[in-house]
Amino acid sequence: MKRSVGQMISRFGIRIPLILWSIAVLYPIIWMFIGSFKSNAEIYANPWGFPETWNFQNFITAWSEYNIDTSVFNSLIVTVVGAALTLVLAIPTSYALERMRFKGSNFLFTLYVSAMMIPMVLGWIPLFFLLGQFNLLDNIFGLAIVYAISQLPFSIFVLTSFISTIPKSLEESAAMDGMSPYGVLWKIITPLSMSGIITVTIMNAIQFWNEYFMALIFLQSEENYTLALAIDFISSEAQYTNAWGTLFASLVFAIVPVIILYSIFQQRIAKGMTEGAIKG
Amino acid sequence: MVQSKKQKYLFLAFCLVPTFIMFSIFTLYPLFSGLYYSFFEMSGASQAKEFVGFDNYKQLFNDEIVPATIWHDYFLVITKVIGIMIMAMFIAVALTQLKIKEAPFYRIIFFFPNIMSVVVIGILWAFIYNPDLGLVNSALEFLGLENWTRAWLGNENWALTSLVLPSIWAGIGLFMLLLMGGIANISKSYYEAARIDGANEWQQFWKVTLPLVWPQIKISILYIVITTLNGSFIIVQVMTGGGPNNATHVMGSYLYQQAFQQYNFGYGATIGVMILVFSLITVLFLQLLLRRDKVEY
Repeated sequence: MKRSVGQMISRFGIRIPLILWSIAVLYPIIWMFIGSFKSNAEIYANPWGFPETWNFQNFITAWSEYNIDTSVFNSLIVTVVGAALTLVLAIPTSYALERMRFKGSNFLFTLYVSAMMIPMVLGWIPLFFLLGQFNLLDNIFGLAIVYAISQLPFSIFVLTSFISTIPKSLEESAAMDGMSPYGVLWKIITPLSMSGIITVTIMNAIQFWNEYFMALIFLQSEENYTLALAIDFISSEAQYTNAWGTLFASLVFAIVPVIILYSIFQQRIAKGMTEGAIKG
Repeated sequence: MVQSKKQKYLFLAFCLVPTFIMFSIFTLYPLFSGLYYSFFEMSGASQAKEFVGFDNYKQLFNDEIVPATIWHDYFLVITKVIGIMIMAMFIAVALTQLKIKEAPFYRIIFFFPNIMSVVVIGILWAFIYNPDLGLVNSALEFLGLENWTRAWLGNENWALTSLVLPSIWAGIGLFMLLLMGGIANISKSYYEAARIDGANEWQQFWKVTLPLVWPQIKISILYIVITTLNGSFIIVQVMTGGGPNNATHVMGSYLYQQAFQQYNFGYGATIGVMILVFSLITVLFLQLLLRRDKVEY
């Protein structure tokens, strides 16, 4: 009896830091949402409270006056094109590396995977000139290509492990029935590794939607800005214009799609992230 | 019946060649020419290259800002490793070992910052640190500690420390999950045996949990170190831009400033080589340090 009372107290004691950390995580995010409905005067008068009237003016201002509409569109293109291109390149390579033995297959796999550990910032200087030569500098399709290649190592790493779980007998019997290797790849491997493909694609899409630094380097004109750059721009403007409400509204535009994806694919994202983390 | 060798090679080429070409153009080539650029003077937008041998490296060794940037990077690495690992371990043990009903709720909430963009996190926290409107100063005033309020990100002594908190805040969720996975794999019989031997919960943590999640701990530390050395400049760029007075510059943000703001591309590449060298040495060193024989019972 005594022990169970002691245990109850210790359970309660354990909960206190968990509750405090929940508040530390949620409060700034919720507060950002609330701030996006406040007028500037209200933010100054009462930065951490609720607004008196919930108005959408900040969202309208951000969307039309600060060109968030264009940036959302640009981010969407970069995300979709980048994620699709990653798959087109990563699926066949993952299949070949996992299932076909050839000279250098281990070397190639190690090369791709070790690229995950190398600081790419050194490569961004020559890449800047290279994209210039290809006329892909300040071009969202150029950025999409760079994004796609940057996530190749991670995608190959995760996809090979998914493909390795598919029974070999399926491919063998399909080959016996006269199916070409292209058919095997497209009609057997791709559908059977769909779960891995979806996981990788969500992870990559979130990565591309959120990315900031490469966009900062490789994009220059405002009409090509992705959402991350547009927000950064509004943020540095807010120091002088004090348009904090507009800034919060644009943060909401950036975060809501990710929240929706996360709530749908919560378990997959967590699993994919930890599988990617093993890469260290 | 058996496919001809030629067909097999054609298929192999179809699978591998396009990816390898793209990877070579957009990853391998830039990396190696980054090394190459470090021996050239490339200034301004003209892109005129002039071979200068080791001049950029001499400049690097004499640059007073460089040692500070290295120290700042390692300050972030050390504080992040300690902060994230202690918090993530505590949460992981609490959520797996103790039967807390709402554990799934915490798991989802704590992971949430990991899916947020660094720009969003940086801007959010810059506002939390805002001297007039921010949460930190308001809270201090509320507690009657007016003397402690300051412009956190604008203060040379506090700016770097202020960057650590958002980095830990944003990082814990992932490592919590990783450690939870490790703890979940530990067989219950070890704990039973420990309990029969009279070990209390604290001793069980030290004698059973910690040694058996060592592989996950090692991976987590390596991962935090690599991602910090390779990417700490992003939060720096968003929150302080390296200021005030270079107090928060890390190697990557200094590279960005030299190459893309002042257009000293050759010198920027030299800083890039330095980042590469420090990352590789640190990872090798850590792998030696963290090597520990697998615990078998």
